[in-house]
Amino acid sequence: MSMTSTLAPAIATNDMEAINRRILDRRATNRSLPPYRAALIPEVTDLLSSYFEKVRPGAAVDGVRRVGGGASKEQFFFGLTDADGTKQQYLLRMDPRSAITETDREREFILLEAMAGHVPVPAAAWIDAHGSHFPQPAAIMKVVSGVTKPSGSGVKVSGLGTYLGEELRIKLRDQFLDHLVRIHAYDFRARPLTGYEIPDADPKQAARWSTNYWHELWCIDEGETRPIFALAEQWLADTMPDCPPENLVLTHGDYRTGNYLFDETSGVITALLDWELARIGDFHEDLGWVLMQIFGTNIEGTFRASDLFGREEFITEYERRSGRTVNRKTLHYYDVLSSYKCYVICAANGLAAARSQHNHQDVLLTFLGTATAIFAGDLVRLLGQGEPA
Amino acid sequence: MTPNVDERIASIVRALSEVILPHLPPEASLAQEQVHLCIGHLQILRAQIDQVPAFEREELDDAIAVGRELASTVTGGERTTGAVAAIETSVAASNGSDVRGERKAVLEAVDELVRAVSADGSPDGKASLMRVVLQHEGPRSLKDRKWFAPFGFDTV
Repeated sequence: MSMTSTLAPAIATNDMEAINRRILDRRATNRSLPPYRAALIPEVTDLLSSYFEKVRPGAAVDGVRRVGGGASKEQFFFGLTDADGTKQQYLLRMDPRSAITETDREREFILLEAMAGHVPVPAAAWIDAHGSHFPQPAAIMKVVSGVTKPSGSGVKVSGLGTYLGEELRIKLRDQFLDHLVRIHAYDFRARPLTGYEIPDADPKQAARWSTNYWHELWCIDEGETRPIFALAEQWLADTMPDCPPENLVLTHGDYRTGNYLFDETSGVITALLDWELARIGDFHEDLGWVLMQIFGTNIEGTFRASDLFGREEFITEYERRSGRTVNRKTLHYYDVLSSYKCYVICAANGLAAARSQHNHQDVLLTFLGTATAIFAGDLVRLLGQGEPA
Repeated sequence: MTPNVDERIASIVRALSEVILPHLPPEASLAQEQVHLCIGHLQILRAQIDQVPAFEREELDDAIAVGRELASTVTGGERTTGAVAAIETSVAASNGSDVRGERKAVLEAVDELVRAVSADGSPDGKASLMRVVLQHEGPRSLKDRKWFAPFGFDTV
């Protein structure tokens, strides 16, 4: 499918947040750029040292080391010692030329600042939003202690399918859900988030912004179509649910086990991570994402979302704690949208970044691309179920 | 072919596992991760490489089958009729000489039919589209899941 494919009317519009328009334009423009090479530790050390000469004169950088496990950004831990001898550990989070998700460091930075004190997040420290010093846009945040998975749980690409075990599950599940409820309770009208627009022009705008964005990403990256993908995409365009104003919330966008840090002994969640897909949208969008099969475990026929909750248990507990009512038809729509998004991420975005050699871990992106078949299967299952009564 | 593909891949895997990986310093985490992924990729390629032509031929056959059934059952207005004709053309042109290209052509024609039916398909045409696509894509996605199951994301 090319960028000029014939679009169905409902998704042919250009209606989306202004920032997402810029992100998509940047991705399309960047396609012609030369290959990207993974940064070397001495290069990153030099970059950080020269950066802090400007923003924190007298501070010294040491101990730069790469953070493993992620699938999108280049990340490095480092120490920063001030002139008075005070030392703090930081994380540099830098975009490759293109990645499995195309997002904006400044937008994420703004959100981390807003979330401080609301839910546990890493403290945002410095931002180079346009790559004026670093070769690509970059953000620096304070390091938070904790792990994303239990030690000894083996290698899990991007935290997918992490098994927590019963002891940790009991400790983590209430916090996991309560933090999500807190995020959704953030009053974005009283405390506006710069650059975050509210999809309230009409009841379908929340769904339309999301489907437009992901559809266009698919087109830019020239994903290879198949019947179930086309059917799902058209179904999403034709059946967009209404979102009443009270259902508009700040959504995290990638809320799941693997995207939070916890203290392995106490089981306390120390930070919620990976806010890059956050937006103001329908709360069902986060629920659909949390409930994705790929992010959970399925042991002896028992599915647990993020290895924490059964599906119905999660929905009823969310309703009880948030005071919201989950609309099953709307949730079904966002179940389909979640599998569709994952399909786009794996089959188009990741493979396009690898094909263009614009990423530092092409081999991981092609590895993740093999998960596409799972999402095709999800779409068959979900569309075959039909809408709930 | 001497040496054969299996012997060549096996030697690369052994070099990566037993020579290169142990010599990477502990702090070279990205390099270590990527060597592990390379080894995994190569081992799966080694196990599947002989079956690739048959797998891709079956993908084409499945695309032709869904295209044929859609073309014979879906009805609608001008855009739908045009899309049906395009599927028939792409199916007729498929003779297995360019398996990947022919499959792509058929699937792109099916993609256009899906859009067309939304625009001017008959009510029966819409129902047929959903039924036929699900009927064909269920088994097709299961074949794909089994093929990629060795990568460890799927428990099918």
